[in-house]
Amino acid sequence: MSDLMVKVRRYPAVWPILGSVLIFLVIGAMTGSMDGNVLFTSARLATFAALLALGQMVVVTSGDGAIDLSQIYILTLCAYVSTTLMDFNPVLGFVGAVLIGGLCGLVNAFVNVYLKVPAMVTTLATGYIFFTIVLVSASHMKVLPHSGFVRFVTGSVGPVSVQTIIVGVVGIALAVLLYRTRYGRQLHAVGQNRTAATLAGVPTPTVVTRAFVIGGVLSGLAGVLAAAVMGGAFQDMGLAYFLPSVAAAFVGGTAASGGRSSVVGVIFGALMVTLMSSSLSTAEGMYQLPSGARQLVMGAFLVGVLVLSVAGVQTRRRKTRKVLA
Amino acid sequence: MALHGDTAPAPDAATLTSASPLLEIRGVEKHFGITQALAGTDLTIRPGEVIGLVGPNGAGKSTLMKIITGVLEPTSGTIVIDGRQAQHVSHHDVTELGIACAYQDLSLCTNLAVYENFALLNMDHGMLSPRGWRARQKAAAEELLDRYFPGHGIDVAQPVSNLSLAGRQIVEICKALMGDDLRLLILDEPTSALSANRAAQLSEAVRKVAATGVAVIYISHKLDEIRDVSDRIVLLQGGRDAGEFDPEQITADDLVGLMGGGVRANLARRERPESTEGTVRVRAEQYTGRGLKDVNLEVRAGEIVGISGLVGSGQPALLRSIFDARPGRDGRLRVDGDVSYVSGDRASEGVFPLWSILDNIIISSLTSVTRWGLLDRKRSAALAGAWYDRLKFRAEGVDSPITALSGGNQQKALIARGLASGADIIVLNDPTAGVDIGTKQEIYTLLDEATAAGKAVVFHSTEDAEMEICDRVYVMRDGQITAELAGDEVSVPNIVRASFSEVQRATHEEASRSLFAKALHSRLALPISAMLVILALNAAVNPNILSFTGARLLLGTAVPLVFAALGQMFIVASGDIDMGNGYSIGLANVLVAFLLSGSVVVGVVSLVLLIVAYALMGALIHLRSLPAIVVTLGAQFIWLGIALMIAPVPGGASPAWLSSFYRMQILFLPMSAVLCIVAAAGAWFVLFRWKYGMVLRGVGNNRDAVERSGWSYLMGKMINYAMAGLMVVFAGLFFTAVTYAADVNTSLAFCMISIATVIVGGCEMSGGVVVPVGVVAAAIAMSLITSLLVFINVDSNLQMAVTGLIIISVLAARLVSRRKAGALA
Repeated sequence: MSDLMVKVRRYPAVWPILGSVLIFLVIGAMTGSMDGNVLFTSARLATFAALLALGQMVVVTSGDGAIDLSQIYILTLCAYVSTTLMDFNPVLGFVGAVLIGGLCGLVNAFVNVYLKVPAMVTTLATGYIFFTIVLVSASHMKVLPHSGFVRFVTGSVGPVSVQTIIVGVVGIALAVLLYRTRYGRQLHAVGQNRTAATLAGVPTPTVVTRAFVIGGVLSGLAGVLAAAVMGGAFQDMGLAYFLPSVAAAFVGGTAASGGRSSVVGVIFGALMVTLMSSSLSTAEGMYQLPSGARQLVMGAFLVGVLVLSVAGVQTRRRKTRKVLA
Repeated sequence: MALHGDTAPAPDAATLTSASPLLEIRGVEKHFGITQALAGTDLTIRPGEVIGLVGPNGAGKSTLMKIITGVLEPTSGTIVIDGRQAQHVSHHDVTELGIACAYQDLSLCTNLAVYENFALLNMDHGMLSPRGWRARQKAAAEELLDRYFPGHGIDVAQPVSNLSLAGRQIVEICKALMGDDLRLLILDEPTSALSANRAAQLSEAVRKVAATGVAVIYISHKLDEIRDVSDRIVLLQGGRDAGEFDPEQITADDLVGLMGGGVRANLARRERPESTEGTVRVRAEQYTGRGLKDVNLEVRAGEIVGISGLVGSGQPALLRSIFDARPGRDGRLRVDGDVSYVSGDRASEGVFPLWSILDNIIISSLTSVTRWGLLDRKRSAALAGAWYDRLKFRAEGVDSPITALSGGNQQKALIARGLASGADIIVLNDPTAGVDIGTKQEIYTLLDEATAAGKAVVFHSTEDAEMEICDRVYVMRDGQITAELAGDEVSVPNIVRASFSEVQRATHEEASRSLFAKALHSRLALPISAMLVILALNAAVNPNILSFTGARLLLGTAVPLVFAALGQMFIVASGDIDMGNGYSIGLANVLVAFLLSGSVVVGVVSLVLLIVAYALMGALIHLRSLPAIVVTLGAQFIWLGIALMIAPVPGGASPAWLSSFYRMQILFLPMSAVLCIVAAAGAWFVLFRWKYGMVLRGVGNNRDAVERSGWSYLMGKMINYAMAGLMVVFAGLFFTAVTYAADVNTSLAFCMISIATVIVGGCEMSGGVVVPVGVVAAAIAMSLITSLLVFINVDSNLQMAVTGLIIISVLAARLVSRRKAGALA
């Protein structure tokens, strides 16, 4: 039993995978048929939450209360940039928008690391600024996506959507970066204990800065894809993904205190949250739930899941401290 | 010199033994894992006597005091409390016996006024108290300080953070002296920041309280002071009491000799050729900074250089300065080569607890195990494995978690990390703390090998005996190097003698902090001047706003933000943040427009439930130690869901009485202005006048201090959250009065703006520092910015960016001013 628990702790991805299966079964029970397409559809719908959650995971893993609340505004800004630039050239639009995302992350890092403003307040404020750029310049920008790019993004290989493949590729690249490179090690060290990392010779400010930039790039990528999938950029396009992505990041095994991440877990966390949302839609359609019940259940579900996953990590940390003391 | 054994009668034994002992420690041992901090200590404490407790570093003084104050339980031995035998001192005993301790690390809430820190401790723990208690407490605090430290110059109404270190120490001592039923007073290095004059006052105070029958344990490294104040001196050494002395008949020099002499010097220094020809790796010339003064030192390749002295003389600062110096950079402190740092404070400065031994070792050598940009598993395993085998870890394997290791083995892993990195200079900060003797020997061997390989080793230990493995030793006192010992001079007696050498006492102790104080006073200056400036700009653009109707309209829209920001402020007071108040205000808006407008009873009940929900949220955050940001983020969807269930579509109506109330005027002021004033005054009253307000502010500053004074932290946090809930309800109420209907989504912007307002209002996001009047002024200012932008035809969209820029620039400016204040202090 304790052996099993050790294994589960080592691979926090187990929880969201189990959760996804469970919710899939619930949907099957409600509709009376096990339709595999539900999974593929949900995986496609989970794209944006997954990309944002992966970015959030990288930022949170740098520890010290780091969090990026400006993600959804970066997403929106980059969506506008991509549709505007793709008007000239699709490649330019793609690259330019993703780079703008990285630049936004760099701004966050500068304010947080060098002006020493807490990450939460920093990203709250920069989020305002990014969104203002959208509000002010939206009227001068193109909002319709490039049709070729839309065809590419909304296409599929067999039952698997191109979006899901993109998430997979990003996931693999991120997994290599986080678990097989020097940077990944340093990031996890900085997240566990910034003082210890500095004393072990890790260039902490650089590592944190890069984490914010990676977070920004992933938000930018999500924005580019969202503009294509949703048929254009609009001002509130990011709003719906905020809480699901934060939830997915924590459910997937990201330690809120930093230093621990799981790419697989976070991707499945996004899938689980999306499946939950689909199951509520199904239930809403079948049982005539009062309006608002959906948000309420979803909210309670997300809080519950956060309480369970975050608390689990914290008690473990406390125990660890005791061992050390 | 008269030496008394434990059984020999003390000089005035006749009087002392007549009183029955207050507390007797008999053969107490305390082990931390394999280290023995106390090895059978006896100590008898009788009423009215002053015991001077002395001993070298690591003698077990702090451990003994923690056992007496009930913080630690002894491993074995007995304690006789008031004639009753016990295993340990319980919390009940501490109160019963009247034990008070002035801690070295100060147990004060720095955001509270001086007198409030006293009041926290000596007032009953009810919510209410008779009128005028503040005046009485101030007078009592004043009287207390005057009694023991005449001419202290401390303003008891000032927050503790405005005091100098000496001032804080005086307050801490007085806090310990204050209890009515005080019977045992423990002073742990009470004069470390005090001037000679204040220290003399303290001696006087100690004599005064002792004369009333209070027993005092006085711990200090300042031996003259100890001799001056004590009735008898107890020497603690290696966890044992090593004799009692009559202060009249022993000199400070004798004590120093005794402290040095008792240590067995069994650490053979290996023979090594004179290392004067090694390259100079570290050189400091008149280096000053980080509390260090005019430090000169030199470390060469191939030698171990010790840094010694009494704890707190600046050794860690020196080590850290060496680590932070970069090769090639010029300065007073230069290093030639890479530096690696090994800390003995493993939990907070060394170990990465989520990782294996392997990962912990290779973190400083990642470049050497990287191939084609990727970490090479084989190379990592080879590197870590080599060290693992060489150091003979007691563990299952190199992949087992580092937390499974004992302290000593963790330390070996950290040293392996430092050596594996290939640095030329190894800096060790007390690496043998809590390490057993066998492992210590292994560590010495490792250091020997490192020097043989041409590395320069800088070694600081709090155990003086360990300095004997060094080729040379620098002894520090008060941030200065007072002696350099080399070769055969390196011996414990010499080190102890040099450690106790007096240097000039700090004279800047009571330097005025007026600039600092001004900066703090100016917390109100920014929001109020911002409000006035923006008001003036508004009036310049549109003079109509100065009319009654204009002012009413303008302020009318500000009121909901005033309450939203005050709600955020109560959460910030406990060091948290509310990311969900956009929707909770929306929910309150819906409750008012849909329920309250229908039935007052249903409406009031629903609003009360919202407040209760906030309090429960606070409890949840504390009990499960969740990050508030995550919980409040999630909770907002619950608020949204409930609001949508009650009001699926926008609608409802503002209750008629509410609208007419909102249009009323009192004297010449519109209701909105009255509400702003009432809100500011009310919140100020709760936080700064109400007795419990001390706790509300205290929980965000120093949890230990609040709990040590007997208040419930959980209750404090819940009440902060409930207050926030109440403010949310008011925000929703007046938002309804402004908009005449409910739409849960229109109030979403309150979240971000309320956070910005709290920051501009002068509060600290880290908790404890709240400025209700500033927050209200800032809320009005923020609200007026919108009108201003509208009047001057600026795109209203820009308001968000303005808010964002304000947050960043205010916080960045505060950082700069704090740096300046820090440099002055």
